[in-house]
Amino acid sequence: MRIFHKTSFDFIRFRKIAYVFSLVILASGMISLAVKGLNYGIDFRGGSEVLIRFEKNVDVSTVRSVLDVAGVSGSLKQYGMDRSFLFSTVFNGDTNDLKSLVSHALNDRLKDNHHEIVRVEAVGPSIASDLKWSAVKALMASLLAILLYVGFRFELKFATAGVVAIFHDILTVLGLFSLLGGLIDFMPLEMDQSIIAAFLTIAGYSITDTVVVYDRIRERIRGQKPADYERIFNESMNQTLSRTIITSSTVLLSVLVLFIFAGPAIRGFAFAVFIGILIGTYSSIFVAAPLVYDWLRLSKSPVHLRGSKVS
Amino acid sequence: MKNKRFNLLLIAVVTLVAAWSLWPTWRDYSLSKQLSSFKSAPDSLRYTLSNRDEIENARKKSLKLGLDLKGGMHLVMEVDQVDLFDQKAGNKDAKFTAIMNTVRAKASKSDAKVLDILIGEFKNENIRLSRYFYDIRNSDQEIVKKLEKESEDALNRAKEIIRNRIDQYGVAEPVITTQGSRKLIIELPGVSDENRVRNLLKGTAKLEFRLLRDPEILVRTLDRLNTYLVQNSVAPKSAPVADALPSPSVSSQLKAPVPAPAATGQASAKPLYDVIGVFQNGTAYTTEHSKDYVVSLLHRADIQALLPMDTELLLAAKPEIGKNGEKLFPVYLVKKTPELTGGVITEAKATFGSQGVQPEVLMAMNSEGTSKWARITGANIGKRIAIVLDGAVYSAPVVQSKIPSGNSVINGIESLEEAKDLEIVLKAGALPAPVRIMEERSVGPSLGADYIRAGVLSLGWAFLAVSVFMLLYYKKAGIAADIALVLNIVIVLSVLAGFNASLSLPGIAGIVLTIGMAVDANVLIYERIREELDGGKVLKSAIEVGYDRAFSSILDSHVTTLCAAFLLFTYGIGPIQGFALTLMIGTAASLFTSIVVTKEIFSFLLERNLMTQKSFG
Repeated sequence: MRIFHKTSFDFIRFRKIAYVFSLVILASGMISLAVKGLNYGIDFRGGSEVLIRFEKNVDVSTVRSVLDVAGVSGSLKQYGMDRSFLFSTVFNGDTNDLKSLVSHALNDRLKDNHHEIVRVEAVGPSIASDLKWSAVKALMASLLAILLYVGFRFELKFATAGVVAIFHDILTVLGLFSLLGGLIDFMPLEMDQSIIAAFLTIAGYSITDTVVVYDRIRERIRGQKPADYERIFNESMNQTLSRTIITSSTVLLSVLVLFIFAGPAIRGFAFAVFIGILIGTYSSIFVAAPLVYDWLRLSKSPVHLRGSKVS
Repeated sequence: MKNKRFNLLLIAVVTLVAAWSLWPTWRDYSLSKQLSSFKSAPDSLRYTLSNRDEIENARKKSLKLGLDLKGGMHLVMEVDQVDLFDQKAGNKDAKFTAIMNTVRAKASKSDAKVLDILIGEFKNENIRLSRYFYDIRNSDQEIVKKLEKESEDALNRAKEIIRNRIDQYGVAEPVITTQGSRKLIIELPGVSDENRVRNLLKGTAKLEFRLLRDPEILVRTLDRLNTYLVQNSVAPKSAPVADALPSPSVSSQLKAPVPAPAATGQASAKPLYDVIGVFQNGTAYTTEHSKDYVVSLLHRADIQALLPMDTELLLAAKPEIGKNGEKLFPVYLVKKTPELTGGVITEAKATFGSQGVQPEVLMAMNSEGTSKWARITGANIGKRIAIVLDGAVYSAPVVQSKIPSGNSVINGIESLEEAKDLEIVLKAGALPAPVRIMEERSVGPSLGADYIRAGVLSLGWAFLAVSVFMLLYYKKAGIAADIALVLNIVIVLSVLAGFNASLSLPGIAGIVLTIGMAVDANVLIYERIREELDGGKVLKSAIEVGYDRAFSSILDSHVTTLCAAFLLFTYGIGPIQGFALTLMIGTAASLFTSIVVTKEIFSFLLERNLMTQKSFG
């Protein structure tokens, strides 16, 4: 089976449209970030959460009113599993108080519907800020590492464009999280540690497709005149199009499986990685390589690529 | 040819090592399946006894499941360094207390080092550290170094003590690690009684024997406090008192306390006696309702300043039951300086008391403690000595005679379970400073079972989807990629089992992601081979060139993924580390499986003429 066999799309010609498209998406995400902000999960917000699961179906408003009457203040929402609710409230070092308050209230008023507290999480405010910082540090460090590595393997222009593409991918997903956060019931899209893991996964993977395209460009560009660059870039991208798409598809396939089967705890992560890889595939063709092309064109100096073999 | 033999040998060794590492996991699984198949208890018991070594061995070496899959508790505790530094200081005055309060407030908001905050505050106030810490002749630098050492020691000691407590309580495979300068991370798989464990861990277990002041002094002190509260009947008093003591019936429950008649209308005139009652014999009580308010009252600096020199008002740990069945907490006036502290305790034992119903804890002291205890008891016959644990009075027996044996006893304990826990904390020793729970995550076993089901389903479907895709798209070559994929998953699991790392739900997610990424290397190679074939190369050289040319892209993409996963592992905490770990192992392993293994398969097939141009789809 062969898909995208011997294509000849003129990617470079359409790059300006792609730039505009990317900027619009990025800008709308950033505006949403500024206006609406992010829906922080317990890791970064701090607080206590209990996950309650009932034996029989029960309405979210019923449970909410029971807890309200009992004077347990906090917010209750449906959790992405059957008959499960997530109750979140302020941080308290002793989760036992919270557990027994909730349990007593529910036992008193919903006697015939047995419940179980299946998970308790409490994150203190100082831990939350700790987690935030290590997330930022990890992200920055990995971007720097990728910049250095790709810079070492190719050239600084290539590496910079690659990292710009990674930023593009991560910021797009971040913007999407801000736009959609809290809107979809089975997928609240809260920012927590797992989303940071998703960002790092996207960062590490986004460059994969880019490197494949770069590799081909490097192989073909050596000794060519700058006037031929447009043709070489286009041909390289078309020649690698099939593998760019197939490699992404296998990963998308397994992430889709995670999204469907791995349950609500992983859903936000899977969503982020899925979108991130889609965007990453797009950006390696429409952002990273065209940026390098434009940069080479404007700087007018011939490229000195490392490691390109003539064979 | 030589190189090829080496590759085959390498593949064989890796496969064997992986199988060997996963063998106990398989045994453990089949043994427990066998066990659960027995219908009667005696049968399974007999089977367990006769195969005990094998069962234990398999269990010890099998792949561990993470807290989220097995159920259990993950705790992050913080050693209170402000308290620690406070303990180390001398010549404390109001200024010092003020500084420490600022430090405490700042430390609770940021994750900066407490010592840095402390130094900063002292600089702001332009006070040398030596005014309070260690020797006056020490320079600030020397003191900072000493305090740094002190806090490091405290963290390590706290870790040891908490490990002792957990070991004695009995949790299988606890993991306790330190993080940074003041945090302990504690992982307790399979804990069912979370509340008990929490209480066991968070108590400082600071045991003190303190002399009780005479009842007359207590009565006089309370009078003085009451007068003070009347004079200063400003804001703090009104609301909480009314709240804490909702009805006059509570004060009447106190059976007509001596200085405070059960007054109904005069609540505001006797603010203290609304919440504390005094009996004829000079003992004071508070009710369960007012307890919290009394505690907050006793913590106020202005109230503490009114107490006689070197004394403190403490509440009892457990209530006494009044005549009407109400719960009354005795209030004690004790000397601030303890006569003896828990450091001398060498042995503790939970038993039932003389009547055989009341649980109590017997304690034995070392020789130094024994002689001190003998002297103290000898000098205070007829007086009462309070046994104080973490600031709460457990009992305050009257000294009947000199105790030369170094024995003492804690009573006033509700249940044998609590007595057992006391025994544990006393034996393990006191923490150098109080610890607080900063983060807690616990997962019940039923949710864990759900997670396992979800994880296995995801693994199965992801493998099926990706391997079928490879077969469809690349035909025969897809088979090689799929074999490599199976080996990859086996390697990830065996590395986890071999290094005693545990598999969590995020870890499974990492494997699922690895399934999608591992075949990428094959895709890159196969696409290149197809290209070379299209270019007119013969199969054998197309394969050679394909592997050769694709290698650079594969290496680059794997290194970047490894970089990101490694940094995630370094900065990540708990569950995220599990994800990063499996992703790292999987990515690294796929360099081997997707390149070396598939290449060997192809050369095997080529030699037997089992491949054609069509084999790459």
